[in-house]
Amino acid sequence: MEGAALFIPAGSPIEQLAADLGPNGLPYGLPIHPNLVHLTIGLFVIAIAFDIAGALYPVEKRVFRFLALPVTRGGFHDVGWYNLLACSVVTFFTVAAGFFEMLLAVPVPGVTSSIGLQSMETMLWHGVGGVVILLVIVAMTVWRGYQRFRWRKDMGRQVQWLYLLVGLGLFLVIGLHGTLGAELAAEFGVHVTADQLLAAGADLNEALP
Amino acid sequence: MLELLPALNDHNLPWMDTIHPIVVHFVIAMGLISFVFDLIGVIFRRSALFEVSFWNLLFATAAIFVAIIFGQVEAGLANPYGASRDILNLHSTIGWSLSGVLSLMSAWRYVIRSKDPQRLPLPFLGAGGLLSALIVVQVTLGNQLIWVYGLHTVPVVQAMRAGLV
Repeated sequence: MEGAALFIPAGSPIEQLAADLGPNGLPYGLPIHPNLVHLTIGLFVIAIAFDIAGALYPVEKRVFRFLALPVTRGGFHDVGWYNLLACSVVTFFTVAAGFFEMLLAVPVPGVTSSIGLQSMETMLWHGVGGVVILLVIVAMTVWRGYQRFRWRKDMGRQVQWLYLLVGLGLFLVIGLHGTLGAELAAEFGVHVTADQLLAAGADLNEALP
Repeated sequence: MLELLPALNDHNLPWMDTIHPIVVHFVIAMGLISFVFDLIGVIFRRSALFEVSFWNLLFATAAIFVAIIFGQVEAGLANPYGASRDILNLHSTIGWSLSGVLSLMSAWRYVIRSKDPQRLPLPFLGAGGLLSALIVVQVTLGNQLIWVYGLHTVPVVQAMRAGLV
């Protein structure tokens, strides 16, 4: 037991729920968090992208005229605002579902991810990172709201350059964060039925015909 | 000739991790939110939301072709087994069909928007509902490929290379 903390008991608390969990470690067949993630990431990225399109409108309006596609600058900024608002609402559920499913996670033992982290480190970073990203998204929504309804109400460009820069910065953070999440599934086998069955020594030809 | 292709990693991919599930963020999120905003726009008479829906729909349509390209490459390297073979076939068929459905709906929406951007005909709202249902079915099938059958996950690829699957 060298190096192991003495306070760690032998059994996992998840055993208390074992009777209610399926072979993927969840009380239902398919995980919810990764599906809500589609909405969080899609809505955030497109919100920022359309605000960038709105900010650079004077440059690109010739292109839209060439395409004979009627476009208004306000329309682009509407996408930026409403998509971000929807993202803010959805992301609370994304994070909540993520914590529920992470509390039930049983990563395949003895694995180090391709970026050199073990499962517990990956989960801690992904959990804390998720809350921080939620916080930033909500703060950006409030910031975006002030720009839209107060500070830049009568201006053509509805967003500050700094806002767009922070948005692009969050793209990078979300990219890294998403990589950790993807590794939890595809490398640590968290809530992947086939991976959990293999770790338990089952034959997939029989267990998953 | 084959040695010119990049080597495959422990996910059986020539790149770090699956790209298809990342690209589909934009098809799923933009396709579904387009319908949600249309619905809110009709019920609460907020015609500004119709413009937001239009752009989201257009973006979903552009994204699905990128999703199909990566989907086909990654499906080709997936080595499906058992029932996942049928699921992957169905997922591919619906995926290609969705590209047609999304393109048609974008074109229809372009005409509606050109005529009167302030109004949305109810048949389009109905079609949006059907599109959302189709997206949900497609997402469920994709979910089964990764979350049940673990295609492209390291443990399954390992088992496959060891001849266990």
